[in-house]
Amino acid sequence: MQHPFDSYEFARRVSRRSFLQQSACGLGGIAFGALAADANAAPAGAADRGAGTPAPMHFPARARRIIHLCMAGGPSAFETLDHKPLLREHHGKPFPASLTQGQQLAQLQGATLIARGPAFPFRRFGRSGQEICDQFPHIGGVADQICIIRSMVTEQINHDTAHAFMNSGSILKSRPSMGSWLLYGLGAETANLPGFVVLVSQGKGGAQPVSARQWSSGFLPGRFQGVQFQAKGDAVHYVGSPEGVCQSVQRLVVEEVQRLNGLLAAERVDPEIQTRIAQYELAFRMQSSVPELTDLAQEPQRVLDLYGVKEAGEGTFAANCLLARRMAERGVRFIQLYHRGWDHHGEIDKAIPIAAQETDRASAALLLDLQQRGMLDDTLILWGGEFGRTPMGQGSGRDHHINSFSMWLAGGGIRGGVTYGATDDLGYRSVENVVTVHDLHATMLRLCGMDHERFSVKFQGLDARLTGVEPARVVSAVLA
Amino acid sequence: MMLIRLPSPRSNAKRPVPGVAALVAWGGLLVPALVVAAPPVPSRRPAPVQYNRDVRPILSENCFPCHGPDPNKRQAGLRLDVCEEALRRGVLSPGHPERSRLIERVTTPTAARRMPPAAFHKSLTGEHLMLLRRWVAEGAPYQAHWAYVPPQRPAAPKLTDPRYPTRGAVDAFVRAKLAEQRILPSPEADRRTLLRRVTLDLTGLPPTPEEVEAFAADRSAAAYEKVVARLLASPHYGERMATPWLDVVRYADTVGFHGDQNQNAWAYRDYVVQSFNRNKRFDDFTREQLAGDLLPHPTSEQRAATCFNRLNMVTREGGAQAKEYLAKYAADRVRTVGMTWFGSTLGCAECHDHKYDPFTTRDFYSIAAFFADVKQWGVYADYGYTPNPELRGYNNDSPFPPEIQVESPSLKQRVAHLQGKLRAVARTSAPVAEVQRWREGVASFLGRHAEGWEALEPEAAISGDATQARLGDGSVRLSDGATAVLTLTARPTAPRLAALRLELLPRDGDGTTVFRKGMEGTTLALSATLQRAGGRSEAIAFRHAGANYSEPRYRSGQALVGVQAGWKLSAAKGRELHDSVWLPVSPPQLGPGDALVVTLPNVPAARVRLSVSPLAPEDPDTGVFPAAVLTALGRNGPLDDEIALTWLRSAGPPSPAFAQVKSVEAELWGCRKGWTPVMVTEAWAPTPVRVLPRGNWQDEKGALVEPTPPGFLLASAPAPAAGRRLTRLDLADWLVSPTNPLTARVFVNRLWKQFFGNALSGLVEDLGAQGEWPSHPELLDWLAVEFQESGWDVKHMVRLLVTSHTYRQSSSLRPELHARDPQNRWLASQNPRRLEAEFVRDNALAIAGLLQRDVGGPPSKPYQPEGYYSNLQFPDRPYEAERDERQWRRGLYVHWQRTFLHPMLVNFDAPSREDCAAARTVANTPQQALTLLNDPTFVEAARSLAALVLPEPGADEQRLDRLLLRAVSRPARPAERRSLLAFLQQVRSEYRARPDDARKSLRVGVAAAPANGDPVELASWTALCRVVLNLQETITRY
Repeated sequence: MQHPFDSYEFARRVSRRSFLQQSACGLGGIAFGALAADANAAPAGAADRGAGTPAPMHFPARARRIIHLCMAGGPSAFETLDHKPLLREHHGKPFPASLTQGQQLAQLQGATLIARGPAFPFRRFGRSGQEICDQFPHIGGVADQICIIRSMVTEQINHDTAHAFMNSGSILKSRPSMGSWLLYGLGAETANLPGFVVLVSQGKGGAQPVSARQWSSGFLPGRFQGVQFQAKGDAVHYVGSPEGVCQSVQRLVVEEVQRLNGLLAAERVDPEIQTRIAQYELAFRMQSSVPELTDLAQEPQRVLDLYGVKEAGEGTFAANCLLARRMAERGVRFIQLYHRGWDHHGEIDKAIPIAAQETDRASAALLLDLQQRGMLDDTLILWGGEFGRTPMGQGSGRDHHINSFSMWLAGGGIRGGVTYGATDDLGYRSVENVVTVHDLHATMLRLCGMDHERFSVKFQGLDARLTGVEPARVVSAVLA
Repeated sequence: MMLIRLPSPRSNAKRPVPGVAALVAWGGLLVPALVVAAPPVPSRRPAPVQYNRDVRPILSENCFPCHGPDPNKRQAGLRLDVCEEALRRGVLSPGHPERSRLIERVTTPTAARRMPPAAFHKSLTGEHLMLLRRWVAEGAPYQAHWAYVPPQRPAAPKLTDPRYPTRGAVDAFVRAKLAEQRILPSPEADRRTLLRRVTLDLTGLPPTPEEVEAFAADRSAAAYEKVVARLLASPHYGERMATPWLDVVRYADTVGFHGDQNQNAWAYRDYVVQSFNRNKRFDDFTREQLAGDLLPHPTSEQRAATCFNRLNMVTREGGAQAKEYLAKYAADRVRTVGMTWFGSTLGCAECHDHKYDPFTTRDFYSIAAFFADVKQWGVYADYGYTPNPELRGYNNDSPFPPEIQVESPSLKQRVAHLQGKLRAVARTSAPVAEVQRWREGVASFLGRHAEGWEALEPEAAISGDATQARLGDGSVRLSDGATAVLTLTARPTAPRLAALRLELLPRDGDGTTVFRKGMEGTTLALSATLQRAGGRSEAIAFRHAGANYSEPRYRSGQALVGVQAGWKLSAAKGRELHDSVWLPVSPPQLGPGDALVVTLPNVPAARVRLSVSPLAPEDPDTGVFPAAVLTALGRNGPLDDEIALTWLRSAGPPSPAFAQVKSVEAELWGCRKGWTPVMVTEAWAPTPVRVLPRGNWQDEKGALVEPTPPGFLLASAPAPAAGRRLTRLDLADWLVSPTNPLTARVFVNRLWKQFFGNALSGLVEDLGAQGEWPSHPELLDWLAVEFQESGWDVKHMVRLLVTSHTYRQSSSLRPELHARDPQNRWLASQNPRRLEAEFVRDNALAIAGLLQRDVGGPPSKPYQPEGYYSNLQFPDRPYEAERDERQWRRGLYVHWQRTFLHPMLVNFDAPSREDCAAARTVANTPQQALTLLNDPTFVEAARSLAALVLPEPGADEQRLDRLLLRAVSRPARPAERRSLLAFLQQVRSEYRARPDDARKSLRVGVAAAPANGDPVELASWTALCRVVLNLQETITRY
């Protein structure tokens, strides 16, 4: 970047007085939090963010945070959100070659293409009467709050690259993910937790690998990268003190590190020392704030029931949804949940009920819970996969598909109870109000108060944007 | 105190004054009057505007996207990057800004006419406008982009200032720039800091306390130069130099896409380390990596170097389209070659002509065409919908061909080490009397069976419709037929079953097949039981089986060691005798009447023979006992190592030494006699390469292209013989030809950044129009020419840089210069630098005395949080941390899993190496603090360090000094000492109150904790060592 973090500026803002006073007599007991105000402002502060940061915002922000429920593997629209009666009528018949000619296929390369009808009926839900597959009654229950987009398209037909494209708008590995962009643009709202958190759960079937690349900060500084929380062991790597080191010894160790670093700062001019001191403060606070955050035992039974969480620390999608709410409350800016369980190449009639059972209740519960706490208005929820699935069968399942797929959005400035865009009669191609991944990103940024064309960072001599170089549009029709 | 005093030679080696002075210093931090060394610069006539330095950056950033090299985006047909074009269109009127439309359009108050347009979200500052106006007034002279003109060696400025040594051209150029600004350089760093700096910079390891003391005491004039020479000769120099190179070539141990399977590349990593250690000429280094296979009679080292062309991410995902991925691989290679040698970001030219530099889309694909002969597959599997017949039978455990086997010096070294270990065990644990008894039995056996093998005459039974016949030589012949289970029962006379031998013989004598019909190349399984004379039955488990011929079976890209879990027979060697030796986990003693029952389910062989031996052969792949061993055993001579070892591996339990031998032997066989597979480049017929319009791999309408260097650099390329297709070797030759303007500059620019923190041209990945005008353009050119003319001598260049005064200066930053030179580009001082991820690890392990210093070898797996690979599939990836000294290998040898790089490396900004990375970000995050505080690697290091320091004589004060000497190359300062001693008291009282905690805290890691001593004391010192390993100074090279 052309304008790196001005560490002098930062060093000047961080108070050093406490160290000098205390180090002179070598006594313990640094007041944790004395630096808090400055230190914590730092990761978010304007001087820290460098060029390209919209300060002030381009537009009034509707959303302060985003929760992305990534249905990893690629859910079928025909068994979730896109009702295609004609496809049912065509079931078992050859798929029109006029549609598929010259189009990309994944595992169906070279196969005879046969239409496959939806495995389940659709129902109308809510006052809005939105059509949703009957396997998802809880999502149906919040139909009036969600906006269904049936006309998504993407460019990448394999999981890995499709996730990369959905996250970063590019398949180049150096590109920051959308969570990193957001955190970079908006700064953090929490002093004790990472601003971009990722949670991964695995379903009973249809799992595909997901790479840490998907939450990489790319060319943005490392502190904007997503931090994955684990269900087992330490929730954040190395957040637990070593065996045999109790809180008070750990505190003594950190205080001593701080004191000696303070002495070093008196010896030599190096602004990194102050930054290091501030980061040890934050690290020590994370050692208690992270376990506090992930302790679902604090939640009342009715809330656990709402999400369908059976036991704390179980690592399910439901538990992750509940954690997402707790993170949202504590100021995490971008929360991304991957549920690895949607790659249904076979037996889709058995797989969908399983995936639905794993995700339906909890997804709706998250929305309702946020709503009850008055947080849905400024929390944008995105629900969907990295691509969709073919209207053609692959044996008893469906193959990867990029020409059409569906998502739903809710909260933070989204119009509820509407369905936007449409696919052709057989669901092969998005034909009406087509929404690209870049359009989705542009819309997301707009809801967060940013103009995607002006939100850029200099990288390798270019103004890099989340939405890339091609034109992208804000989908105004879905905004409340 | 240095930072407020005028820099002067007298302040050179003085210890800074702590305490009150420090406070004053900070108070005075921002008062320029105190600190500026020279009077303010008087105003002078401004120097002429320079196009490259002053004007091009403005035009490039604001104008070229629409009025530059990319014709597709060009507005109004106007080009401003080419002088003639701008003049032809009359937008520039040299000498007359008021008549130049360019000036008018950027200054007009009419918003609708003003350039750049509002929608472009760019605007020119007042200084920009002033520079443009002055440039036009001075005649609007254009200059060719500096980086695209071959460098000429400028004369070094002559400077004489007795107060500061000018040690050669580097200092001359840097000092000239400082003098222009009336700034004096900083004094030389104190000796301890300097030694620690240069040792960390050249080896990635800290100096030992002895090295520090020796250097501090060496007052000879050449003391520093001697140190540099020692470090350049260190085997760890290559490890340090390899690290940034591995970033640009994106070296990793896994393929990156989707299942992110293991790939065999580490022999290439060792090649890089060795190349730097042997100071391989950089031109040869370039040629070998790009085109080693095309050199005349390539050595296996040169072929291993071509693994470079195979380091792009690849996939084996079901449903991936080969053509799409081949396009990705091609683009990846162009980007990597572009950044590594051109210092240019070519990525955008995949879809459109470069917006700032004269690279065209055609250039992009023409560079890609150089690699069109690299044998590869878009999808490394043979799926029904994307058939690849050559990969038939490949699965997610298979490697990524083509590979060759190379001898690895590091593996050979390990083999020797393990053999030594075996001998040591034998020497120390062979009880003479017991061995003697054993020898008597063996000698009697050898009297009957001189070769060491007793061929059995088994009873045979076969199920199904196959038949069997016993032949005179002990072998059993089987008929063709359906699935058959063969059971062989025999009563050996050997005193012990230390080895079982199964031979598959040609059915009807030499030259006939060893297979039953239809069973060629299938896998043989063997099980064995012992029917004791008393009626009891004991199953025999085998620890290892070796065979003379076998086909590999893979797990996670690695061939399994031994055939004990299944012997995949070689169809290609179907007419050769197949021989195998099976070693029991616990060699059973045999008594009279004991029957050995061997079962071969679904037997593929047409004729088999069984033998047994009371001796286990050293090499189970051949089953041959060396004559010397047999003779010695038969003769009843003295007990030597060889005999003791044979006894150990043959005589079985209950000796603990046998367990040790088994584990060392298992490791030894894992070394595959020092050979390892490595992916290489093999040339095949070049596939046609087309320009892909907008990067779309499905569009076949683009022009076919031939391998060609970029058009605008063609002048620097040697003309090929007419009609000959250029090769990767031509590309390499051109990259390192004296007329190439980029390669030498790009390399020395990166090297500069490595030693000074900032590059001379700030963006190491881009020396093009959007790159930065160098802070010291003449110096960059001087160094580039020096590099070329020295014979591409990397060590020479490194020596030039690190022996300069500029390098040796104090790294205390100069606040008084901050406003004028915020990034310290003028180098009035050195820049402190936090160690790179790998060296943060190495440094801690070295300080703790744990570091394992072997150079090269297979990737190692340090402690890693449980479940970290749980999102990896195809295949699942269990993670087992090393349990021996390989736990403490250097960071560069850590298994580099692209999609889930080790969290410690991630936290300290190591790149995933999925893509070429010429510069690492340097973050300062709470994750780093958590890693140093709680990662078992650092906790274990702290305990080991405590165990090192604690037993030393003297009081706590002296121990503290020795501790800090190890960690930061200096004794404790008084305030630190007071603080640390107070801390120690507090921790002691904590642990005295909870001694169980103290004991628990000593359990982390596989290093042995001292058996005796007071756990409270050790735990308290461990806590203190944790503090030291967490210090900013410890992880920073000052």
